[in-house]
Amino acid sequence: MIRSYYLFIGILLISLSSCLKDPEVANEEELITTLKYKLTPVTGGNEVVMTFKDVDGTGGNAAQITGGTLLKNTAYTGVLELLNEQANPVVNITQEVQTEATDHQFFFSALNGLTTVVSYTDKDSNGNPLGILTSLNTGAVSSGKLRITLRHEPNKSAQGVKEGLITNAGGETDIEVEFPVNVN
Amino acid sequence: MSIKVIVFCIATVLLAQLVAQPCLFKLKGQILDESTQAPLEFATAYVVETNLGASSDERGYFEINGICPGKYHLQISHIGCEAERMYLEIRGDTTLTIQLHHHTEILNEISVHSTHEQSSANVIQSINTDFIHRNADKNVADLLESLAGVTVIKNGGGISKPVIHGMYGNRITILNNGLVQAGQQWGNDHAPEIDPFISEQISVIKGAASLAYGGNGLGSVVQIQNNAIEEDPHLHGKVNYIYNTNGHGNTLNAKLQKYQKSLSWKITGTYKLSGDTKTPSYFLTNTGKQESNLGLQLNKSITTKWKLSLHASTFNTGIGILRGSHIGNVTDLNEALSRPIPFFTSEKFSYSIEAPKQIVHHHLVKIENKWYKSEKVIYSFNYGSQWNNRKEFDVRRGDRSNKASLSLNQLTHFIESTVHKEYSDEWHLKSGIQVNIVNNENAPGTGILPLIPNYTSSKPSGYAIVEKITDRWRLETGIRLDYNFLHVASINRSTSNLVERFKHQFVNFNGAAGGKYDLNKAIKLSYNIGYALRSPEVNELYSAGLHQGVSGIEEGNRQLNIEKSLKNIFTIDVNVDQRVLLQLIGYHQLIDDYIYLKPEKELRLTIRGAFPVFIYDQTNAAINGMDFTGSIEISKHIKWLSQFSYIRGHDRLHQIGLVFMPANTIRNKIELQLNEGKKIKNTSMGIQFKNVFRQNNITADQDFMLPPPGYSLLNFEMASTYRMKRNELQFSISMDNILNAAYRDYLNRLRYFADETGRNTSVRIGWIF
Repeated sequence: MIRSYYLFIGILLISLSSCLKDPEVANEEELITTLKYKLTPVTGGNEVVMTFKDVDGTGGNAAQITGGTLLKNTAYTGVLELLNEQANPVVNITQEVQTEATDHQFFFSALNGLTTVVSYTDKDSNGNPLGILTSLNTGAVSSGKLRITLRHEPNKSAQGVKEGLITNAGGETDIEVEFPVNVN
Repeated sequence: MSIKVIVFCIATVLLAQLVAQPCLFKLKGQILDESTQAPLEFATAYVVETNLGASSDERGYFEINGICPGKYHLQISHIGCEAERMYLEIRGDTTLTIQLHHHTEILNEISVHSTHEQSSANVIQSINTDFIHRNADKNVADLLESLAGVTVIKNGGGISKPVIHGMYGNRITILNNGLVQAGQQWGNDHAPEIDPFISEQISVIKGAASLAYGGNGLGSVVQIQNNAIEEDPHLHGKVNYIYNTNGHGNTLNAKLQKYQKSLSWKITGTYKLSGDTKTPSYFLTNTGKQESNLGLQLNKSITTKWKLSLHASTFNTGIGILRGSHIGNVTDLNEALSRPIPFFTSEKFSYSIEAPKQIVHHHLVKIENKWYKSEKVIYSFNYGSQWNNRKEFDVRRGDRSNKASLSLNQLTHFIESTVHKEYSDEWHLKSGIQVNIVNNENAPGTGILPLIPNYTSSKPSGYAIVEKITDRWRLETGIRLDYNFLHVASINRSTSNLVERFKHQFVNFNGAAGGKYDLNKAIKLSYNIGYALRSPEVNELYSAGLHQGVSGIEEGNRQLNIEKSLKNIFTIDVNVDQRVLLQLIGYHQLIDDYIYLKPEKELRLTIRGAFPVFIYDQTNAAINGMDFTGSIEISKHIKWLSQFSYIRGHDRLHQIGLVFMPANTIRNKIELQLNEGKKIKNTSMGIQFKNVFRQNNITADQDFMLPPPGYSLLNFEMASTYRMKRNELQFSISMDNILNAAYRDYLNRLRYFADETGRNTSVRIGWIF
């Protein structure tokens, strides 16, 4: 008698439990799918755009990386653009980083013998570099990789950070991409 | 007898009655050691209300004369024993038998083994109330660590999970007053949401008895239990305050209880507040913690045969996670590994808790019906429900740090019906049927695709355990069957985030048998063998995404099979007149299809940089180990206590060590017990040396960093009790890591980033009334 009563409750609860809800497919507002580094020669000429694009985020399909070819001994003005192309319409994340300029900084490292030097041309409200706007100077003929890193909450007053050295910056990496670059 | 004498006697009695009540009654008794039944000499029995007392003779007998009829509290104490307090109504000459148990945890471990209530063939290790209350500032896992064979996995000081014989997380079952603790137990950074102060006994059970409890474990059960409310009609309680110098931690506990025929109640409350803890040389920024808990227990006898009890508790915590342990990608991790002091280390102490942090709520209610049909048949019908809400906050862009990155709600219902029958003095049967229902949901609004999917699980189960007790043998065997119907709604990330639904069905069979044999008065031998199946949990099947707890991308595997485990445990207990106590537990466990996180060779490139990828995979594992516990009474006042644990986990398929296996540990302690004073009681002090060896069983490609070197710690503690007429004050001082050693522990995830905490002095005052 008592057992059948409990069995009844058990079956009732099993049937209740079958109301499984779908998880919310979150709109990942924070997601950055695309980074574009647009380089325009100061003296005029062809614009070079390097792109890192991973529209489906962390998993799924691999990212598409487009590097660039730069002219030797040339000065370029550089502009970074960050996008969330998963959102519709596409969201410009650059503005978000700009708003929180004091909490962010981009770093540019030339790897494998690449002859490029990047310097900051913008500043946050404390007068420290941010890196959305830069100038890039190429040297002799070379090829290698250009690594662009965005750090969240770096220690901008640590040694060398204002000059663009990442070593003592700390913080978390929000972006870290590498582009194959040729200097001809 | 002459008539004169008789007349005199009657006259005396009449006279006495006229002069109110005669104070002529005798209170006699014998005081015995609970585990050995040996008489205890020089124990004191003291009637609180009258100031009368006596001490026991060499046969354990005491006698207090001249007691008036009335209601009294009797206090019994003995050097090295937990003081006992009982309520008495004296209406005539009264004779009592009182059993005391030794309060040192190591002794208790063994003695609980052989008390009648637990007289099973199982391996049981326990922590008593005294120890729990003395360490009320710690969490459950840290208390369990005092037992041989138990270690903890940590994520900083505030978050710890028990590891028993190498099993942790999903593989052990934690029982909170008979309810399997539900919540997100799979995460290594998810501590069990239980306030130990609410409970009076914490035990670890291995053997057939563990079959009575659900969960999805492989044999070991942690039982956290409230005692029944003592039959004392007065209001009694306890207030406890503990201060820790490291982290400026404050813990305040209070417990109130009252017995009434109509309804007995007990209320407990805990509040904890601590700030950033400190290693010997720097602060661990953002490691503060807040916790507030309440517990309620009601007992009611509806008839003499029907007893009802209710347990309700709420647990609420906010825990900061070391700011410097929050990293972006592999580059950040490698950078953190090479730094002596973590990034974001502040020079100032703070109580504030910022992201990364966890906010967790856990509410529980359980209703127990016990029906004593006859002396030999007990039925019980129980219902329990738990609600678990876990929010984890990461450092995020915009104002999103205030928005949880992981937000899970879990609601469980549990119903059981059990029967306990004694067929003759020797045969016992325990059986039951249970249904457990879980609904786990991701709360919307995180702005992040969830790491684990939504799911429901329904688990009907049944078990039967047979026990036979003879003079020298205790035999036990049992089986358990669990069906698990799992429904999952997960987001498929490669097909533009469509929601897909899956169904799984698992059948888990568990069987165990064990025997205990009393070789002679001093030596007991026991052997247990258990076969257990564990079906994969949702996180193992469906995880998808970046998991901060493992600093990598974690991917579930829907093809996982059920884990199959065979475990043998052999135990020797030696007890020579309570002076020499030894316990040796040896075990061997084979697990086929052991589920683990396998690091993939290639890193995954994302816009945030490269990440290691971990995929749930299966292998065949073997775990061997032994735990030794011993104590020797060098003199009446000095005791030597020793513990040693050895464990080795092996991947039989790949011929490598298993990750996350505890390192071998040795603990030695010298304890000094002072004589009982008139008012100063239970005074003891102890020095403990703890040596943890290096985990040498792991190769460089199994982890981001090789296990840290071994370490040694020196700890000190001192405790005493000041007894007043109706009250008792308890004091204790303890000092951990006296030498302020800088070290890292293999089972702490923060070992990648920072040292363990340095010296801590802890002061406690307890008031019992």
